[in-house]
Amino acid sequence: MLISLLQAGFAFVRRPGFRYFILFLLLLCLGGCAGRLNKASARYYAGQPQQALELLEKGDHLGKRNQLLFLLEKGVVYHQLGDYQESIQQLLQAAQLIDQFEMLSVTEQAGSLVTNEWMTRYKGEYSERLWVHSYLMMNYLLLGQYDDALVEAKQALERLEKHPKALQRAYFTRALIALCFANLAEDNDAYLVYRQLADDLPSPVTVAADIVRYADRLGMVDEVEKYRSFLPRNLPAGEAELVLFVANGRIPEKRPGNVVLPPSIRFAFPYYSKRTTPRPRMTILPEKWKSLPPVSSDLGTVARDSLAARKTRIIAKETLRVATKEAIAQSVGNKNDAAAEAIMRVTLFLLEEPDTRSWKTLPGRLTLLRILLPAGHHKLQLKLNFPGIYEQHTIDLPEFEIRQGQRMFRSIRY
Amino acid sequence: MKKTLLFWSGLLIFLLLSGCTVTTREVGSDEKVIYDEGYHFSDKKAIVDDMVKSLLSRPPLLIATDRPVIIVYGIANRTGEHISTSAITDDLRQALLNTGRVRFINETQRKNIERETSYQYGGNVAAETRIQKARQIGAKYMLTGTLRSIKKDQPRQFRLKKKTLMYYSLNMELTDLQTGLIEWADSTEVIREASKPFIGW
Repeated sequence: MLISLLQAGFAFVRRPGFRYFILFLLLLCLGGCAGRLNKASARYYAGQPQQALELLEKGDHLGKRNQLLFLLEKGVVYHQLGDYQESIQQLLQAAQLIDQFEMLSVTEQAGSLVTNEWMTRYKGEYSERLWVHSYLMMNYLLLGQYDDALVEAKQALERLEKHPKALQRAYFTRALIALCFANLAEDNDAYLVYRQLADDLPSPVTVAADIVRYADRLGMVDEVEKYRSFLPRNLPAGEAELVLFVANGRIPEKRPGNVVLPPSIRFAFPYYSKRTTPRPRMTILPEKWKSLPPVSSDLGTVARDSLAARKTRIIAKETLRVATKEAIAQSVGNKNDAAAEAIMRVTLFLLEEPDTRSWKTLPGRLTLLRILLPAGHHKLQLKLNFPGIYEQHTIDLPEFEIRQGQRMFRSIRY
Repeated sequence: MKKTLLFWSGLLIFLLLSGCTVTTREVGSDEKVIYDEGYHFSDKKAIVDDMVKSLLSRPPLLIATDRPVIIVYGIANRTGEHISTSAITDDLRQALLNTGRVRFINETQRKNIERETSYQYGGNVAAETRIQKARQIGAKYMLTGTLRSIKKDQPRQFRLKKKTLMYYSLNMELTDLQTGLIEWADSTEVIREASKPFIGW
């Protein structure tokens, strides 16, 4: 009885019509996957973060393949709205999910071999996995939870150690890590991060003042001498520090790339456009208050480096998928007529879609600006000039009171 | 056709039911339940027990006869995990209080104490029932500490499992507030290795 039931069940699946129907259904489902995420990022960039949130709160249409992206996007939108606590909640869940993704799912990988990468849960590029911790660090610093910011700094360091080459140009995050250590008087760790940053930055001038300060405290006379020559002229001094996290522009989106070989072989791969976000010249008004040299990262550059680091893996998997699909098409052709093979080839060809999912609400550039001030009441403005563009922006910062030795944090996006 | 329908319906019901079982069990507070290399509630218990034993068995608390007053200024979290170190200090304070050999300043409630005092002197409370101002007791000692961790992952190589070694250490100090001298210091450690598979369903 049971055997005859099994035979009847699988005979149904073996019908070519049923299989094409399943493939067609998959095609339909996968096509509409990222719709809500795209709409949400469009709302966000149209200056409607609240509407973007409403869409993101609804979650994925089908399954949890894009769960990570929903959490990441919500993390940035809540940060933008100043709800740092909620941003933390979303991003901590995202970080937990990323840890879970370290385990390779056999069923998921097998499924993606006959369809495409959209079938798998989005695991985040190396750069995106790092920026989860960057935003968590910023959120905790803005809330004055310095111990927690340091926890995130350590987790970000782990990510950097895992992919040193891909994340080498994540200067903003690396300077933020050093700041988290410095903020809790962990001088040795702060020094080490600044020292590595000095080696990788185009010029060590940006972090020379910090290296000299911590090397001096740690009694490293030779290092003090070495980096003293890189100190900028008229190095500002102050009793307190206002730290600005300045975000501008929009991270480039992943684009679909295709290589088609006859009769129906299609290699599909994602790539980032070569667009970079301009680095603004920042001035503090009134101009008597000066800042340390800013540390800035173009997020598009780091994202491109991360994707390039995964290139070998992407090519290997794509080759395997193409081979699997070719074998399926030929098998259908052998068992059925030429029309069935043609339909199968067209379906598999259309299913071959590059995975262009990415964290879209991220800015194009993040800059860390530290302004040295005397203790007291301040009302400041931030003036931004872009190279080659006449246009300039002036942003009013909320008035604040700062104590001697205090470090205060503010986040700005324009 | 009927057989086909029956097969697929049966398979669907089986799949639905097999994933729906929820199991729960009570875990005793003394039971050691560890899922991974991270910090667990049983670690907190072990840490607190070690520290209380050390504090009470060594000077100055061993020889103190006047129930000295202590203020707890918290444990700094310098690990790579979000660990609530106030849970450690809460348990430590409770365990020490239960011995009856020390007293604690309620530092976390200072603002509320001030608010309540202001209220009592605001005109609504009968004068004879008001608390007296400037009668709070000053602490003799300050208890502080740092929780640190070192994580080491097994190097990359061909294998199906990844091993992680985790080291936690809690250092605590009792400082005499008048002299600024550290009168007691000790540390306790938790070292754990865990392995996770690379491949799953």
